[in-house]
Amino acid sequence: MATTAKNMKGFYKQTKNKITGGISKSKPSSSRKVSPKHAATQGSDAAQPAALISHGSVDLNDDYNKEEEMLRQFDMNIAYGPCLGMTRLDRWERALRLEMNPPKEIERLLKTGKVQQDCLWQDEAEALYKHSRAIESHNLVSSSHPGLLC
Amino acid sequence: MEIDSEKIQQRKLSDYNNLDERFEIQKEMYRGQQYSQIYFARLHLMRTLLYSLAPTWKPHLPVCKVLGLEEGKECIIVGTLFKHMKLKPCVLDEYSKERSVTPLVKPHNFMHPDDHLILEDESGRVKLAGSALSPAIYVTGVVVALHGKETSAGEFFVEDVLEAGLPPQIERPFELKENKYVVLLSGLSIGSSLANPLQFQLLVDHITGHLGDEKEAAQIVHVVIAGNSVEFPRKLISGQNLASKDQSTLYEPIKELDIMLNQIAAGVSVDIMPGLNDPANFALPQQPLNRCLFPGSAPYNTFRSCTNPHSFDVDNIRFLGTSGQNIDDLDKYSEAKSKLDFVERTLRWRHLAPTAPNTLGCYPFTDRDPFLIETCPHVYFVGNQDKFDNRLIKGPEGQLVRLICIPKFCETGIAVAVNLRNLECHTISFSIQLS
Repeated sequence: MATTAKNMKGFYKQTKNKITGGISKSKPSSSRKVSPKHAATQGSDAAQPAALISHGSVDLNDDYNKEEEMLRQFDMNIAYGPCLGMTRLDRWERALRLEMNPPKEIERLLKTGKVQQDCLWQDEAEALYKHSRAIESHNLVSSSHPGLLC
Repeated sequence: MEIDSEKIQQRKLSDYNNLDERFEIQKEMYRGQQYSQIYFARLHLMRTLLYSLAPTWKPHLPVCKVLGLEEGKECIIVGTLFKHMKLKPCVLDEYSKERSVTPLVKPHNFMHPDDHLILEDESGRVKLAGSALSPAIYVTGVVVALHGKETSAGEFFVEDVLEAGLPPQIERPFELKENKYVVLLSGLSIGSSLANPLQFQLLVDHITGHLGDEKEAAQIVHVVIAGNSVEFPRKLISGQNLASKDQSTLYEPIKELDIMLNQIAAGVSVDIMPGLNDPANFALPQQPLNRCLFPGSAPYNTFRSCTNPHSFDVDNIRFLGTSGQNIDDLDKYSEAKSKLDFVERTLRWRHLAPTAPNTLGCYPFTDRDPFLIETCPHVYFVGNQDKFDNRLIKGPEGQLVRLICIPKFCETGIAVAVNLRNLECHTISFSIQLS
């Protein structure tokens, strides 16, 4: 594991806080869109799964383009099976492997990288999963491993 | 003293091929998916197969989805069976207000005369009626094709059933002229009060040729241990920290197993599969026991730690087997005259563990169902059964399969030897009489 000292500093955010001395470890900022946008919910992890609180940005945006519309149609098509728990690209590749001839435009769109890689409800599903895990690990003393739930 | 070189027996050689890759989950990543994914993969793959078989079965009937059923129209539908069982334990019973209703003694078999079957596909589900499909035989998770029609009551009256049947088999090689044996055993349960170390030692001595019967031992080319090799004292595993004295009692069984496996691995190739009581993961497919558990045996290249279920080739004879959890689960949710009936059914349904993930723990695969049997094995074994039993079944395309129930060694002292030349099997039994 050849992480340089420079990488490690970015990996563990260092903050001065109530713990006297030492470096406090906190979860690195998640690259996924699950972290709550509202500061008020930051501390109350036991209260409510973050994604069930309205984000105000992703879902309710009225001018999602027709590319996203096409991808949502792909998500909703039952022929390709359930959409939750897989990235859209994984689901497209599964459809390809099962010889369902999924439309090639979907693959092209997903590979441009400018669109959402997950289906609409993936955030909520993942938040619920993490929420139930948080309740389970509520009594553990040690801090969480960085990157475990990312 | 001169050693007569003619008298040294050489063990027979054979080609071994491990086919466990489909059962490994190292590359799988859990992303919060549910079991609907594995059911979808199972339904899709089996349905494609059944659609291809339907025209030869009932040529003139249309095939439709559950939602496309019309009353009175005869057709074929394909879907996953769901068996509604009154007595099946439900996690919600814990929260039920009427605690007194749940029986104090849990029945071993959850069948009830009121059980009924439902067929489900992605468009909907329909209750099944008629006597062609017996709820006593089928379990949740089997994919079948049904011929029948919808009744006015909204049920589907079944007239005939099509199962996938035995998968295609690779032909057995004809050139085997000599007898070569594969020894199968299971349920050693080292560490339990039932296990007699002397019995296992006798078996090891027999396999390695130290009992004097070198000719027979030289014909053994492979050994498979099908699960439940150790049994840990349950009272020690209570979540509390263990005193060092208790810690040593905890790993005594594994150390003893390693010593014995070392003796076997030094002479013949041996596969060890995890079982229900072994230190492996709970959900199927169980991953191989960690090599750190066997410091003495692991350095040998004849020692292999394998998955459960386990699939391999010896001299192009295909073996497929489990440590018994799949058959034991079928025993709880359906009935049969003998355990071999369950084994045969799983082969005809082309699925090793149809009750997974419903009542049998299973990993939530997203894009495949590794328990689908794609190639028919020549030998299909199930470990940890109550008694030895075997049957030879023939398929419509010339398939020939030997089904074997391996008894628990700690209780019976019996191991099974399969002859690769003609697929016949016999038992090797050891008993100790201490008077």
